[in-house]
Amino acid sequence: MIKLRRIERFYPLAKGKFFYVLRDINIDIEEGEFVSIMGPSGAGKSSLLHILGMHDHGWSGEYFLGETAVHPLKAKERAALRNEQIGFVFQQYHLLDDLTVYENLEIPLSYRRVGKSEREGIVADTLDRFQIVGKKDLYPRQLSGGQQQLVGVARAIVSNPKLLLADEPTGNLHSSQGEEIMGLFKRLNAEGTTIVQVTHSEKNAAYGNRVIQLRDGWVINN
Amino acid sequence: MTNMTNEIKVALRGLLKTPGFCVIAIATLALAIGANSAVVSLISALLVRPLPYHDSSRLVLIWEQFKTMGLERIPVSTPEYVDLERDFHGCQQIGAFAYRNFNLGGEGTPERISGAVVSPALFPLLGVEPIAGRTFAREEQGEGHDDVVVISERLSKNRFNSDPYLVGKSLLLNGRNYTVIGVMPASFEFPIPLFGVQGNQFAARADIWKPVAFTQHELKDRGDRNYSVIARLPEKVSMQQAQVELDNVIATWSRQYPDNYVNGSFGAKIYPLQEQVIGGMRSGLAILLGAVAFVLLIACANLATMLLARASARERELAIRVALGAGRWRLLRQMLTESILLAFGGGIAGVMLSVWGIEFLKRAGARTIPRLNEVNVDLTVLIVMAVVAIGTGVLFGLLPGLASANPELTEALKEGGRGATASRRHNQIRNGLVVGEIALALVLLVGAGLLTKSYALLQNVNPGFNPHNVLTMEISLPQLKYPAPETFFYLGTETTTRFVAEANRRIARLPGVQSTAATDVLPLSGTNTDSSFMIEGRESQAGPGADEEIRTVTPDYFRVLQTPLLQGRFFNDADTSDSTPVVIVNRTFARKFFSDGDALGKRITFDDPKHNPKWATIVGIVEDIRHRSLDVDPQPEYYRPHTQFPERSMILVVRSAQDPRSLASVIRREIQSIDPDEPIAKVRPLEAVVSESVAPRRFAVVLLSVFAAGALLLAAVGVYGVMSYLVVQRSHEIGVRMALGAQRRDVLGLVVGHAGKLVGVGTAIGLLLTCFSTRALSVLLYGVGTFDLVTFAFVTVMLAAVSLIASYIPAVRATRSDPMIALSHNA
Repeated sequence: MIKLRRIERFYPLAKGKFFYVLRDINIDIEEGEFVSIMGPSGAGKSSLLHILGMHDHGWSGEYFLGETAVHPLKAKERAALRNEQIGFVFQQYHLLDDLTVYENLEIPLSYRRVGKSEREGIVADTLDRFQIVGKKDLYPRQLSGGQQQLVGVARAIVSNPKLLLADEPTGNLHSSQGEEIMGLFKRLNAEGTTIVQVTHSEKNAAYGNRVIQLRDGWVINN
Repeated sequence: MTNMTNEIKVALRGLLKTPGFCVIAIATLALAIGANSAVVSLISALLVRPLPYHDSSRLVLIWEQFKTMGLERIPVSTPEYVDLERDFHGCQQIGAFAYRNFNLGGEGTPERISGAVVSPALFPLLGVEPIAGRTFAREEQGEGHDDVVVISERLSKNRFNSDPYLVGKSLLLNGRNYTVIGVMPASFEFPIPLFGVQGNQFAARADIWKPVAFTQHELKDRGDRNYSVIARLPEKVSMQQAQVELDNVIATWSRQYPDNYVNGSFGAKIYPLQEQVIGGMRSGLAILLGAVAFVLLIACANLATMLLARASARERELAIRVALGAGRWRLLRQMLTESILLAFGGGIAGVMLSVWGIEFLKRAGARTIPRLNEVNVDLTVLIVMAVVAIGTGVLFGLLPGLASANPELTEALKEGGRGATASRRHNQIRNGLVVGEIALALVLLVGAGLLTKSYALLQNVNPGFNPHNVLTMEISLPQLKYPAPETFFYLGTETTTRFVAEANRRIARLPGVQSTAATDVLPLSGTNTDSSFMIEGRESQAGPGADEEIRTVTPDYFRVLQTPLLQGRFFNDADTSDSTPVVIVNRTFARKFFSDGDALGKRITFDDPKHNPKWATIVGIVEDIRHRSLDVDPQPEYYRPHTQFPERSMILVVRSAQDPRSLASVIRREIQSIDPDEPIAKVRPLEAVVSESVAPRRFAVVLLSVFAAGALLLAAVGVYGVMSYLVVQRSHEIGVRMALGAQRRDVLGLVVGHAGKLVGVGTAIGLLLTCFSTRALSVLLYGVGTFDLVTFAFVTVMLAAVSLIASYIPAVRATRSDPMIALSHNA
């Protein structure tokens, strides 16, 4: 599903020098895999995830998502592709504070021009699936951390993406909440969603079926 | 449509979540749109809008002048007007007019009505038709034919209940019957008070017009100047061409009547009517316009600052929306929805404020600004102000949306990401805007400070009399009942003298009255009279003699006003119509004409010294009274006793031990016990007269101060907003500093120090701008220079202090935050 060839990400420094965040990354990820990207702080894990999620465009190399070559696409084209295929779960949840749970789930569908009645149906199903129907009219500030992340995950998959990217999804949760979320990921993966997560936790990595180790921007173990 | 509804709902929700921001943004918009629209509407109506006459740009006034004597804008005499009517071909129509008061008798309480005598050509010249009846026919001019009047719709309504059959009815005016032949519309006003011209500075609105009736004496006396002249220039004749034509007519007078026009000093000049009406207000209005522009700029800068701060706080939200799939247009639409909602609120508040502002201006400037009744909210001005202010709001509301279309999302989305690049740019813009606000606010504040100081100094000027506890009221004895001598229609005879003396006697006996007197001209009332005279021993000097300001008073006048006697004596009962004519002069008169000796005992005459003149002896010298204005040095004045010069229109002045207004009704009763048909008019304390004389200046001070206060508030809000955002932005840094040992004062110094830099730069720029702007204020200042250091220093310190206090509040908030929370804070 994903092919990365010679992906590099660097930032220019003074006097013509460069700081490399990622170096010569070559990775293949098949459909249906649950991959964990691990490594120490500053290894480039989140940077790699954001490249996969097409949030970052300052990289070089080749990136194929399915049959589509991402690297030659313009920013607008990448955004369209991202909307179509990828869902993202953030460590800080990044729910919209002024929107209710219902509205947070609805907004990605609205951005994808899904009609109102269809949106209503999809959101209702998602609320039901995640068992958060009773919380649909609450605002994020009225939810616990775990509940917010649950909504974050629900929002990420509401548009039925093929690929789910998660950046330290349990980083701000306590262990029981984290287990809940990881269990959810496991179920989603079992239902066919390809998942790539960044994690520090061996325990969380164990929910997946493959680990990619990064250090100082290099893949040291795949 | 559903998306739109959702966006409106979400935008409203977002705005209501920050009520402080909403209130300030809407208030700022309201100020920018509303207050500024009110003032600009006023200025537009006065300066731009034509007068309410047909093609008013072609209307001019003709004033005469004696250049060598420093006399300008003086009225014309009857023979001169007749000559102009016949010989001045530079105009299409010409008319004469003069203010007159009428005692309206008959049914009901006698009432004094302000009015004017006008030549029959006047109404056609102005091009305004009556709403009922007609105006004067040519043959209705002249003694015996002038028993017709035209009245105003206002008088018709107030006095006659808008009687539809009023035309053709008879009115008793000044003891004589006049037939009402026409009613002028409510919008018609003539004459309009002419500022800066001798007399009638604050004349009441005319409600009765009567045809002029030149007496035989008036038709012969070229020196008795009582009429103003208005003319309509033809389309093809320019002002310059008309002036040349007028100069030719004047030149023939100089040849034909050399005794009246000597040394080439006499002339006449044409003034556009619009220019006369605005007169000295133009510079003041221009200053106000400048203040409006400043406040508009400050308000827009404030709005921009707030919106940019709000945008910076929403960078993360916008990044999330883009990450979730929002396209550029969806983002812009969302920002636009918010901006439009704010604009809508601000626009409504602005319209309300502009309507209220106009009403406030009308009330505050009622006796200060002519044509105020014509002022309404100017729709064009309102729209322009709204476009500028709302446009600023929309632009700065949209900017973050435009910037966020940049797809570099990682900074904003990462753990601890703060969208640093966009924030830095926004910070620079915000800092720049706040510096600009402070600079502009300083300019306004210095202007207001100088005007206020000037006004305060003026209030402390000694007018030359004590206005406290003195009541004034006007009486005007009609000629029919109080006959005039043949030569002077405005004088009376013994009947007039007796009435005034009896009135003073009866009033003096009333409880609470300390002293009473009468004068024909009240100080600081805007009216003035002058007369020429010759000094004994100087008759051989070439020239028409001196011309100075003259008053007619009763013996106790100076005692009532508490104006000191410097030498000699006041008038007394021995000064009668049969005794030696006497005059009293003021200090300035004595200094000017008798600088090398004592004025007492010297003699002057108002007659031609070659033809058996009557000489009047100077029997007293009094202290100067500031008659024209508190900020104008006293002029030479001389006084004659009422018994020897019995004016029929006088002003009673009554000094009381208590609030003099309580005496009004008993005085009215006493007057009407002497003559039941005699009304008293314009009853007001002398303090009110003094206060009204500075009303134009006070109006300017109040308005400019209001704008300056608004600017100060906006600048303070701007500083507060920037500092608040700075504290939020740097909370992590502050937490680290506190964890490393920074004390409260160190944190305060960090925040307030940053504000201090902004304030420092802003005030420096402001002081530089002020050096130029205060020059424009010099025309309005009294006793204060344009670089008054005390004012500059005070205002600068005040602005700096307010700004620093505004920054202190968020600084204190920063010192109270828990370092651990701050250290874990994400932007």
